[in-house]
Amino acid sequence: MKKRNSALSVVALSAVLLSACSTGQGTATNDNGNTGGSNAGGVTTIEFWAAPNPTQQAYWSEMAKAYEATNDKVKINVSAIKESPTSEASIQAAIAAKSAPTISENINRGFAAQLSDSQALVPLDTIAGFSDVIAARDMTKTIEPWKFADGHQYVLPIYSNAMLFGWRLDTLKELGYNEPPKTYSEVLEVTKKLKAKYGDKKYLWAKADLADPTAWKRWFDFYMLYDAASGGNKFIEGSSFTGDQKAGESVLTFVDSLRKEKGILARQSTDPFENGVGIFTDVGPWTFSTWAQKYPNLKYNENYTLSMPPVPDGVDPAQSKTFADTKGLVIYASATKAQQEAAVGFIKWVYSDAANDVKWFKDTNLPPARDDLSTNEAFKPILDASPQLKPYAENVPNAVPPMDNAKYNDLQTIIGTEAFNKVVKGEIAPAEGWAAMQAALEKALK
Amino acid sequence: MDQRNNRLGWLFTSPYLIYSLVFFFIPLFWTLFLSVTDWNMIKPTFNFKGMSNFADALQSPSVHAAFWNTYRFMLIFVPLVTVLAIGVAVLVHGLTRFKGLFLIGFFLPYLSSGVVSALIVKGLLSYTSPVNTALRSIGIDIDWLGTPFTALFIVGLILAWKFTGYYALIITSGLESIDKEVYEAAAIDGVKDNQRFWRITLPLLYPSLYTTLILAFGVTFGIFTEVYQLTGGGPGNATNTWQMEIFKQAFSNLQSGYASAVALLASVATFISIFIIRKLLEVWGKRNGWV
Repeated sequence: MKKRNSALSVVALSAVLLSACSTGQGTATNDNGNTGGSNAGGVTTIEFWAAPNPTQQAYWSEMAKAYEATNDKVKINVSAIKESPTSEASIQAAIAAKSAPTISENINRGFAAQLSDSQALVPLDTIAGFSDVIAARDMTKTIEPWKFADGHQYVLPIYSNAMLFGWRLDTLKELGYNEPPKTYSEVLEVTKKLKAKYGDKKYLWAKADLADPTAWKRWFDFYMLYDAASGGNKFIEGSSFTGDQKAGESVLTFVDSLRKEKGILARQSTDPFENGVGIFTDVGPWTFSTWAQKYPNLKYNENYTLSMPPVPDGVDPAQSKTFADTKGLVIYASATKAQQEAAVGFIKWVYSDAANDVKWFKDTNLPPARDDLSTNEAFKPILDASPQLKPYAENVPNAVPPMDNAKYNDLQTIIGTEAFNKVVKGEIAPAEGWAAMQAALEKALK
Repeated sequence: MDQRNNRLGWLFTSPYLIYSLVFFFIPLFWTLFLSVTDWNMIKPTFNFKGMSNFADALQSPSVHAAFWNTYRFMLIFVPLVTVLAIGVAVLVHGLTRFKGLFLIGFFLPYLSSGVVSALIVKGLLSYTSPVNTALRSIGIDIDWLGTPFTALFIVGLILAWKFTGYYALIITSGLESIDKEVYEAAAIDGVKDNQRFWRITLPLLYPSLYTTLILAFGVTFGIFTEVYQLTGGGPGNATNTWQMEIFKQAFSNLQSGYASAVALLASVATFISIFIIRKLLEVWGKRNGWV
């Protein structure tokens, strides 16, 4: 009896383990090599995962309903991506459990690279009708840098925040400036005047993240400066390090000079820019709704203003580029062909009418990823009502999206640990930091 | 009859067996399987990598940091929480009224959210906080979360604040179980008041202390929330922990195989450390004649 029970337990446990280890091979598949299929009674059902915030979820629910009213052959279920523990991990778990959606938004280029590297995404340019979306939305230029190293487009960018630097205009005016400095030497001159006047009460750049190696934090310091200094050089392309040494070293030298002038406060401080402890920081358009509630006294072009990142001396500030905080839509390879085509049909319908992008911009404050954002009359009322959004709209084509490497987390951590964070703390010389970073990146890319 | 008893036995133990199977054995075997693969749970295929995930982890500076930081946290947290818990327990035990109320008060931090307490501490230690502004005015300028030792100490302090009440409850129950006659007999034998704690209370508290110490040592292997919220494992890797490392690798880098290997290494380090600590505590008790 005992032996039989033990044997049964072992068999049961093995069965559970084997089923868990299964990669799905040998299960029923459809014409696209995928399980399941949501095509009942001629109606194709697609699952749409929206960003985990009520505004975006409401937007997509509304769009889905409106589309269903025009096309009774497609049913769209919109739900928010779960964030337990992160939205990326939720998508990973869904793919592993074979319950991935058809389409999801809120995907950055780095995560898309992880997914495409794992063959979890459909190259959008291979689906019929995708080129019509690009043409209808007027986004040919904006989507160009999104092309992956393999030549395919895996993400359709929805919005593109050309990250800008905010300057405390009130403090600049106290120091005798009516507009933000544009070059490194001008910024250093401001720093010297600031320190002479305020000592340790004010800093040029007060931000604890400058000393934090967390990968995504480099998007909002190093990359903004690097994109400006290098004219939008790709830094890492596919699996090769293609960084511009001259531009990179000049960025690190600039940061080092700021440190030497005691212009950097890389310590925890409550809203340093808003409270005037720092006079220079990265600002994304999502910040304005928070400011409206928490810091209503902050007024654009009164006590703060926005500018593209400063550039090294000798570089034309008008040619400055910046980092694009941008996310988009992807279609999952686990979806059936019918679902993939229905998803593209839905996207095409949404983006063929600029009014839908106007609604998006109005609801979310996130600039739609279009080439004509600052020229299309449809967006004018929004930009007139919120002039602080104008520089974001104007610079959409000047913004460089994140790298398309599946190891982007590790690689960006290296930028911090080997160079940027160390320079901020004065632990390494800029040129040595760049060399150490390059060596570590090349090793990690192998 | 035997067969009926046998069936009843299986029936009554089945909840535990099912629980163990679902929440222990299956995850354990799943982790073992993942740890020898390069699978990220997204790719349709995977390769067996043998022990290379373990070899990579053993060479990783952030894993080394997680290993050593656990013992650094131990050195700060365990003595601090033990002394505070004994102090609170002795003080509360001496009260004649509202004993329960005070114990509940000290226990409340244990129920509080780690995220909230970390955010409050973050605000308190902000460069512009009243504390730091006052310190700077007298010439003391400390980067609390940006300096390795102070960052470790702050995390240890938050944990001690959180766990003191819980451990004080255990120690109070130990104090309550000491018969008053023991103290009376000791007084008759000439034990002075200042010797009572060391000669009577502490030895008789040994079982409760043993429990709290094992629990406290165990806490240091599971530190996550406070570090995640306050320092993110930095500065450098100064406050990186096993749980932080597993989280980063599994959920940011999506390296499920490597993260599983780190998780298994963490389990082995925890098991061996707790085993050694348990033995040392037993030797300590035996050497002093407390067991």
